[in-house]
Amino acid sequence: MIGSPILATWFPEAASTHAAGVDGPFYWIYIAAVLALFLFAGLGGIFLWIFRRQDRNQLGAVTGPLNPVFLGLWVLGALGLAVFAFVAGFPGFIDKTVAPQGSYGIEVTARQWGWDFTYPNGHVADTLHVAKGFPVRLTLNTEDVEQGLSIPAMRVNQAIVPGLQSEAWFEATTPGSFELRGSIFSGDGFTDMNSALVVHEPADFTAWLASVSDIFQGRTYEEVGEILYSRLGCKACHTTTGHKLVGPTFLDMYGFEFDTVEGNKITVDDAYVRESILTPNVSVIAGYQPVMTPFAGLVTDQEIEAITAWLKTLSSKGGVEAGAEAGAEESPEAENTESGDAAGQEEN
Amino acid sequence: MNAATDSYLAGKGGIPEWFTSTDHKKISLMFLGWTGFAFLLGAIFGLFLIVKSLGGRGLEPRFVFQALTYSRLLLVFLFLVPALPSVLGFFLLPLQLGASNMALPGLSRCSLRFYVIGLVLLIASLVGGPIATGWTMAAPLVVAETGLFALVAFGLFFSALSWFLTGVNFLVTVHHSRAPGMGFFDMPILSWALYLTGYLLVVVGSLFAIVILYLTASRFSGEGIFGADPMLWNNYFWFVTTPAAFFALLPAVGVISEIIAGISRKPVAGYRMVVGSMIALLGMSFLGWGVNLVGQGQDPITTLVFQALGILAVVPVALISYSWLATLYQGAVARESVIVFVFAFMVNAGIAALMGLFLISPSVGAYLGTTMFAATRLDYLIWGGVLSALLAGLHYWWPKMTGKDYSQDVARIGGVLYLVGINMALIPNLILGVGGVTGDMAAFEAGPSGLAELAGLGWLIVYSGLILVAGNLFASTWGKATDEVNPWGASTLEWKTATPPPEGNFNETPQAEGLYRY
Repeated sequence: MIGSPILATWFPEAASTHAAGVDGPFYWIYIAAVLALFLFAGLGGIFLWIFRRQDRNQLGAVTGPLNPVFLGLWVLGALGLAVFAFVAGFPGFIDKTVAPQGSYGIEVTARQWGWDFTYPNGHVADTLHVAKGFPVRLTLNTEDVEQGLSIPAMRVNQAIVPGLQSEAWFEATTPGSFELRGSIFSGDGFTDMNSALVVHEPADFTAWLASVSDIFQGRTYEEVGEILYSRLGCKACHTTTGHKLVGPTFLDMYGFEFDTVEGNKITVDDAYVRESILTPNVSVIAGYQPVMTPFAGLVTDQEIEAITAWLKTLSSKGGVEAGAEAGAEESPEAENTESGDAAGQEEN
Repeated sequence: MNAATDSYLAGKGGIPEWFTSTDHKKISLMFLGWTGFAFLLGAIFGLFLIVKSLGGRGLEPRFVFQALTYSRLLLVFLFLVPALPSVLGFFLLPLQLGASNMALPGLSRCSLRFYVIGLVLLIASLVGGPIATGWTMAAPLVVAETGLFALVAFGLFFSALSWFLTGVNFLVTVHHSRAPGMGFFDMPILSWALYLTGYLLVVVGSLFAIVILYLTASRFSGEGIFGADPMLWNNYFWFVTTPAAFFALLPAVGVISEIIAGISRKPVAGYRMVVGSMIALLGMSFLGWGVNLVGQGQDPITTLVFQALGILAVVPVALISYSWLATLYQGAVARESVIVFVFAFMVNAGIAALMGLFLISPSVGAYLGTTMFAATRLDYLIWGGVLSALLAGLHYWWPKMTGKDYSQDVARIGGVLYLVGINMALIPNLILGVGGVTGDMAAFEAGPSGLAELAGLGWLIVYSGLILVAGNLFASTWGKATDEVNPWGASTLEWKTATPPPEGNFNETPQAEGLYRY
């Protein structure tokens, strides 16, 4: 375990400007600690061996008071080691604590169990992408329990406490893909906190962000609809499995007829979906409260069409083959009896 | 003076008497059995983690987290903290002070019973609905936990009460039961360590009992003081467990100092200096909790202050380690197997202490604070420091405790296996930690090639060594009686009475004849 060639493999690749402020002090403290251990345990082992009892009645020598010079050197040596460890790590710590002016800001939201990385243009990704050579400031929040963000290759390790916003920053020096993980245990699905950091060349990063920010590029309307279901927060109140939450399930909704709280009957079609997104509390399905936030001005017509297309895939009356995800999780027949608000109502 | 018929082991009450006795020696042996059982359970849960790290299939993450939680809870709260004071402390404190029993014998029995109730409740939660919050029981995770947290909480509550009562007993015994003529600075160094541990147990035991109840209230109300502010729980938790877990070395220091003086047949070098250092360690243990919150949401300035305070802890540690070397120097060191365990303690506790240097270095500590590196330091304290000291103590005082001799060769082999194995098992985790693996998550990491296998082999060697050591001691109880009252030629009062001691320890009240006179 001694020697820098072996020790160098302990750390992950040094791919950020922080590495020097961590790795350097670590190596020096390591060398000093190994020497101190050998000195202490070595002397202990040698004394245990060379001063072993020669006959049963032998007494230890009377050695008098402690030698003040040796004692002083021993204590000062230990104190010096500790002061060195503190001082050596101080500049790196200060450097890590405050992000440079003009850093590129990315909002990080942790939850059980995954990450949302939100870019300045509003794009949200579950992996972190940055440009090489530019300082990046992460603003960290957690939606639920304590979390921690660790990017070992960047030497970043930052706790995220509920109700407290924290910050971390780094400047990547090497392009490539690196491990990103949770650093504080957050419950049963903790291993799902493993994600990745991708460091691009600056031009590649700009191109990447432009391409992923156009949600329709390379995707069908149905795929975009499903992404919007997550991104717009629909999933907080509407399931795709038949279970009721604050709002009705999306499973077997499109094409079915429902009673409304106003005493009418409506059929969920393109017009109703559009109305429910833009002015959701005008015509509310019976059994639910008019509590949904209107999305007028927040979604485009193209996005509403995408959501509608995706809702059709979840319905046996959508005119499209039922979505693989919904079909795979639970059969609509089994769920209809549980939800009671779709097929059951239609039969009435 | 080898009066086996008067021995405390020759009681006429049979097995039931062991459960009702208030004799400190029987309480000590009962504690040995129960803490040994808790250690065994914790080690068995640890085995699941080793199997998982070696690619074991069929172990779901929640099960592994449960195994991790219970392994840590058992090893920290039911072994690391209580083992040395409860086993060696209860047995030796009255004997070293020349007393016939603890000052509060009924309280000794109460300590044991609360410990057992705590252990049983913890096991009941295992059977009824194990939790998977991790051993630090972060408040938001506890609120959301589906397992039977209340049983765990009350288990830990009773354990903490047991520490508290043990501490009170130690303090009162030292103040009231010293032999005639024995001043405070005539007490053996182990008695001093136990006396100071008494303060630690009183403060930590009462505080921990209270905060664990608050945490339980937070869980059931969904709010409470810890539900609203997770950092508050973190601070309380580490304020309590830093002295308990990281300074469990205080009684270990007493045990090792006493043994080194005994096997060297020399006085403890710099006796008053060591006492002063232990008092300093006790004080600092209540000022150091923030070092364990590095990288866990503590603000940077507070972190720096705690790390700077951590520098000061080096001074008493240096003074104590110097005393050990100075005592051994030109001593008449016994050749028996106990020196293997003393050496193991020097290596393992030395590593644990030196690892602290990395955590008080601000930039390195911020990077390593929540990794396997910091978690492995706890393992070095449990498996390295406290276990080495307990094994050294048992091998040193075993003839006094049981009146039996054990095989020196088997003990030597077991000790060497334990020392080699524990470092083979733990060093790979240090490497994983520097690589950025999150604390206690080694089971889920493949790491560099061969590392998990090396650690697995290390644990196999550790367990082999421990089985040899425990089996050797256990088997000796059927072996021949020791023919020496004082096999080490040591000078403290426990060696001046019969082996094993009679019910009331001394046939005549002993007089303090000056400390460490050979």
